[in-house]
Parts: sequence; structure tokens; C-alpha cells
Amino acid sequence: MVSGDTPAKLTREDAQKLKSPVANTKKSMARGRVLFMQNCTSCHGEDGKSEGSLVASATDLTSPQLYKSGASEGEIFHSIRDGAGDQMPAFKSQLDSETDIWNLVNFIRSLWPESARPTVQDDAK
Amino acid sequence: MTEKKNTDVAKTEAPKTGEPQSRTSRRGLFASIGAGAAAAALVNPGKIFAATTPPIPSIRIAKDITDSLAEATKLGSFDAKGGMTGAEVFAKSCKDEDLAALFCCPGNYQIINAISAAGIPAFGGRSEGSMTSAADGFSRCTGEVTACSGTEGPGFTNMIMNIAVAHRARTPLLVLASNVTIATDDREYFIQTGYQQPTTEGLKKYGKRLIAPDRIHEYTAYAFRHLKTGVPGPVHLDFPGEIYNHRFMAESEVKEYYSKEKYRTDSRPHPAPKDLAQAVDMINRAERPVIVAGHGVFFHKAWEPLMVAAEKNDIAVVSSGPMRGHFPDEHRLSASLSPDAFMSADLVVFVGQYSMPSKAERWRFHPDAKAIRVNPTGEDLGRNWPLDLGIVADERAFLEGLASDLPQKKRDAWVGELASARQKYEKQLLDEYEQGVKHSQATNTLHHAVVCKEVHDFLYKGSIDPKQTVTGWGGWTIGNAGARWLRAYRPGQEVNCPYQYSAVGPDLAMMIGAGAAVQLGVGPQAPYKGAPVLVITSDAGIAYSMFELDTAAKYKIPVICVVYNNNAWGMWPSAVGTPRSMHMYLFQENLRYDKMAEGLGTRGEYVRTQDEFRRALKTSYEVAAKERVSTLINVQALKEFTSGKDYPPGNIINPEPSVGALAH
Repeated sequence: MVSGDTPAKLTREDAQKLKSPVANTKKSMARGRVLFMQNCTSCHGEDGKSEGSLVASATDLTSPQLYKSGASEGEIFHSIRDGAGDQMPAFKSQLDSETDIWNLVNFIRSLWPESARPTVQDDAK
Repeated sequence: MTEKKNTDVAKTEAPKTGEPQSRTSRRGLFASIGAGAAAAALVNPGKIFAATTPPIPSIRIAKDITDSLAEATKLGSFDAKGGMTGAEVFAKSCKDEDLAALFCCPGNYQIINAISAAGIPAFGGRSEGSMTSAADGFSRCTGEVTACSGTEGPGFTNMIMNIAVAHRARTPLLVLASNVTIATDDREYFIQTGYQQPTTEGLKKYGKRLIAPDRIHEYTAYAFRHLKTGVPGPVHLDFPGEIYNHRFMAESEVKEYYSKEKYRTDSRPHPAPKDLAQAVDMINRAERPVIVAGHGVFFHKAWEPLMVAAEKNDIAVVSSGPMRGHFPDEHRLSASLSPDAFMSADLVVFVGQYSMPSKAERWRFHPDAKAIRVNPTGEDLGRNWPLDLGIVADERAFLEGLASDLPQKKRDAWVGELASARQKYEKQLLDEYEQGVKHSQATNTLHHAVVCKEVHDFLYKGSIDPKQTVTGWGGWTIGNAGARWLRAYRPGQEVNCPYQYSAVGPDLAMMIGAGAAVQLGVGPQAPYKGAPVLVITSDAGIAYSMFELDTAAKYKIPVICVVYNNNAWGMWPSAVGTPRSMHMYLFQENLRYDKMAEGLGTRGEYVRTQDEFRRALKTSYEVAAKERVSTLINVQALKEFTSGKDYPPGNIINPEPSVGALAH
């Protein structure tokens, strides 16, 4: 079960204001990738393009402009933690910590086109 | 057997005085016509009905059925007048090979008649597809070879989805079908011509259209070599009339007619000593090893050496495949309810995991964990999952080697981690259940988590021996939930009906087959002979095989079938983005599957609350155990429970491998 400082209930507006406490580092993205493979690929595919047939409305994660529940880091966090749309379940009971959700957020944004990706920070920082 | 007098129904259908003739029921009209009073009925139906309509007869098992089942067995013999037919030669070979059961619909007459006459347990049902899944279910909970059969053309093509399901599960299923005659090939002669072998291409381990009558035994040997050796899978034989009708007056007329000891071997590949030594060394060096015990462990009856090896060296075990229980869920080393522990495993040993996942496919092992894979044949080693050691060996032989060569070792930290992960997982389940209780109370329907927790508590926490009841699950929302709550404490106790192919619909039929195995006490079901079985399925799924309740009633196979009736296909949220499509995903609301079950000669229960469901489970189980009568429990739910939007957490796709693993 996720524990952390983020309020238990978030509106979309609240989520837009959230800032990640986890730096966008290669280490964070690597951890996020492992979590992505374990939790996300059945609907979103290994490459995040959601080309499989399990869920018709799964979002193509490589195109941030198609995100139905918002593409800011806080909105992505909110979608993962609390679920999104009619089909994506909440993952707060399946992930250990808010840090892991932020690691997932960092990995998911690494799937975006290069021009849209956030800057990768040094692991040492 | 519960029998209801339907006189009340008949009475209510009789039109009242003064009602227009158009209200005359078809049933009443035909009854009157049968009495030779058609003309009078059309003039004044009410008067005639009052005077002559007899009560509608109760549903009952015909004496012809019970008499037929009591008939003596009769194997064909070359000494008999007229010798033996091809069908009798084939049936005798199947008997010699201990074919466990046949599930069929009429068609392929000579073959199914000869198999039944030979004393192989045979069951006739309502559709070939469902009977194929019944055979599959029988095999999944026993590990034995079973057969299914249908007629050529529509019967055979009706079996295809279910053959595919069996293929993905690597079931040793003997698929039989008649197929017109060789003499009329390609002529579209009369009806039902069709090429069968290309139709099962990609869905079988081996197949053959028999074309030479005197080679019938030779190809039976081909079939059983494939069914009983290596990695199992369906074998498909199609029989033209010239084959099964051919008469043999002497054994010498049948080619290659020798016994199974001469046409196949029970010898098994043992691991090379250096491979076994390397595996022992890798396991012993690992801090947190886990064995994924796949269906090969079950089919090759390797659960005892698995237990010895695991306990000797404190190795975690997760039971995997289309059946579960070859390692008990409650064991301190079971990782089946500890998915979060997988991430820290540093060595994964796949044993008999025939359907291999890819690393990028939701299996919760760390990408850097080392991997050993043991398989009875070599061609699949290294596919999908890169290996540090691949071993060609029979699962039992390998695990016996481990049990012998591994040193005693304690891994307290690893065992503690498994326990913590289990505690966390069980807390997740309870959290979901508590949310489900609130949703249920708010809507006066039953949430899927509540349904499955109630089944869990009834089967495993009450007065019933937790090891007794064989269960199965299917459907989407309810299937995922059922998988999370059903348990397996001994081999063959749980059937994962949608395994790998994820078919909606075979669930009930598969569990009727499993129920037949329990009634016969075959293999690991022997200690629980006669116990009921239970299946959790959906309203979408039940439509495919509900008519087999007639088969369950006819053969007195007691099944408790829990139908989660949420008025929709589980995938209805896929239409949310395109509202004009939604109608394609929905059914009429509040359909009464319990009433349909009553119409098929079984019991029906309708429930909306936890208390009602508890009572229904108790009554249904008692009736099943004492009278061998099946019950369908219609659990009214809401489709919206599938979505986490209004009823969190919604449908949860289960982590793999663990209880509820669907894909591999």
C-alpha cells in the first residue's frame, strides 16, 4: 500500500499542481521501467504504445497530447495512484511507495518524443 | 433429484373465460392437438383445456439413460462372429492405454459407441465445444489423457475454440471426429464434407486423417506416443467411414498390431549429472531462490519430490499453470500469495513451465535474476526468457535429483520476506473486500470481491475440509476476483479455466468434466471421490455452456455454479469513448439464469445480499453432496463495479506469477 505525503484525495486541479520529489534520473527511470514491466504492459504494451487488444481505450503513452487525464507529472501520478477513466484501476494498493509511483512517472515520460521529454538529471544529484 | 410438479404453470396458462383465442399458449394448443381435439380447441380453447389438459410432466432422467449406463461392458474380439470393426480395434487400444474418459455429442457413431461399450467412462452432452472443454477439465484436474468427439462438419467445427483452449494449456486431449468417406473426398457428396487437419493446424501437437484401414492401430500408437510423452498437447484423428467400418477377421490383418510396451516407452529423460550439479550449486549459492512449478510438475506427478527439495533447502515455490495445487498455498514456502517478494528473488528455476512468459510481460522477477529452466524436450529452452542454465529432463527426474543432492539449508530471511509479502497481499484483498461490502450495501447488489470472499470463507474457513472441493474460475471482472480468492491445497484442486487463451465460456463445461473426474475418483481426486465441485463464472461466460447443466443433471455430477450477473460483457468500458457502441456490450438487465437452470433440471438460487448468498452456498453444497444435484446461483451485480471510476478499485488484473495468473 502506498504511503506518503500526498493528500489521499486529489482533484484534477490538485494533481496539476503536484511536483515530483523524485529527480528525473537514469536510476529513477530504470526502477520505473522494472515497475512498468510488472504492472503496465498488459494494457499499455512493452513500448507504451497500447497496441494490444486487451483494453480498447488504453492511452498511447508515447504521445502526451493523447493523455485523457492530463500529462503533467502530477496528473500522471494521480492516474497511476487513483486510477483513470473507466478502465484503469488504482495502483496504490499494488505499489509500495509514492517514490515508486514517481519513478514510474519518470519512466513513462522517457517514452515521449525526444523534444517533449524532461531533462535527465545526473544520478549523483 | 428435485422434481417439481408443473401443474401450476399449466393452470396459469389456461386462458380465462372470455379471453380472445389469440391468448392460447402454444404448449396448450399442442397438448390439445395431441389429444385429437385440435378443431374443438380452436373453437373454444378454454373449455377444452379445463377438461382435458394433463399436468406438464416433471423433468426426469429417462429410464433408458439409467438402463444404458448399467449395461455390461463389451470389448471387441477377433474371435467374435464378424471379427472386429476398425472402431472396435481403436476402442480396444484406447482401453489398453487407460484413456480416462470420453466427452462427446452424437456423431462419429461407431467410434463413440465402441469406446463406451469398451467400458471407458463416456458422457454425452449438448454441444461439441462444451464437451471438448469438459474433457479438458477432466484432464486438468487429473493429468490423465481424455478424449472428445464430434461429428464431421458442424460438430467438428463447433469444437475449434475449445481445442484451441486445450492446446494453449498443453492438455493431453485426444480429439476424435468422423469425416465422411475416402471414396467421396472432394465431391461435396451429400453433406458435411470438410478438411479437418488443416483446420486444427496450429492447435495440436499431432494430427492425422486415417486413410488406410489396416493402419488404424499404428496411428493409435502415434497418438498415444504424443499424448503420453514429452510436453503434452491435443492429438487430432479424423476417421473416414472406410476406417471405422472396416472388418478385421484376424489380428494378422491389422498392421503393426503390438502392445503399448512395444510401441512407446515410459522411459524419461534424466538430467545430465553435470547439469544437475550446476543447478544444485546455483540454488545453494542463491540467497532467495524460487521454483516456478508449472503444469509439467502436475502432469508428470512430481509434487512429492518438489516438496522434499523445497523443504530441504528453503526454496520458495509458486505453483503455476492451467491447474494449481501441486504446491499447497498455505505452505510457509509458497510464494503464490506473495507477488511482491518476487522482485528480490535472485534465482528463478522454471520447472515444467510450458507456456513461457517474456521478461517484459508482467512477471514480477527482477530482470537481473538468474534463471534455470527444466523442460522434457530441448527445443523450447531459451525461448522468451534468457537462461543461465537450460536442462532437458523430465520434471520428476529433475526434482528427485534436487531432493537427493541439495544440502539442508535454512533461509530465514527469505522465508520471512515471503511471509511479509503474503501478509501485505492478504491485506490488499481485505481492503478490496471492505470496499466491496460498502458498494454492495449501497446498491443492494453484490460486488465481485464480496462474492469471492464469501466463497473463500465457505470452502476454506467453515466445516468443509479445505482440500476437498475442486474449483474453477472464469470471466473477466469476476474471474480475476475469483482467482484472487480461490485456493489450492493439494494437486488438481484448482482449474484455471481461461488460462493463456483467455476464452470466455468454457468454465462451466470444464468444471462439469472436472466434476466427472471427482465422481470417479481419478488420480489425485481419489481421496475426495464424490465431492461437489464449484465454478465461479460470468453472465457472458455462462451463455456458452449453460445447457451442459442438463449433462450434469443427467450424469448426477454435482456442480455449484456461481454466475456473476452484471448485465454486460466485462469489457463494456471499452465502449465508453464511443457511446454509440455501448449497446453491443450489454445484455438485458436482471436476466434470470437461476430460472434457466431450473428449466434444465437443476436447482436455481437468486441472491442480492451477502446473507442470501451465504444461505444459498450452504444449501447448494448440502444438496450437491447428499443428492448429487447441481445448483446455479444467480448473483445480481452491477456492470459499473468493473470500473474504478465510481466503484474503486474496479477490476484488478492480477500480478503474475501468483494466484490468478492468467497469461502464463
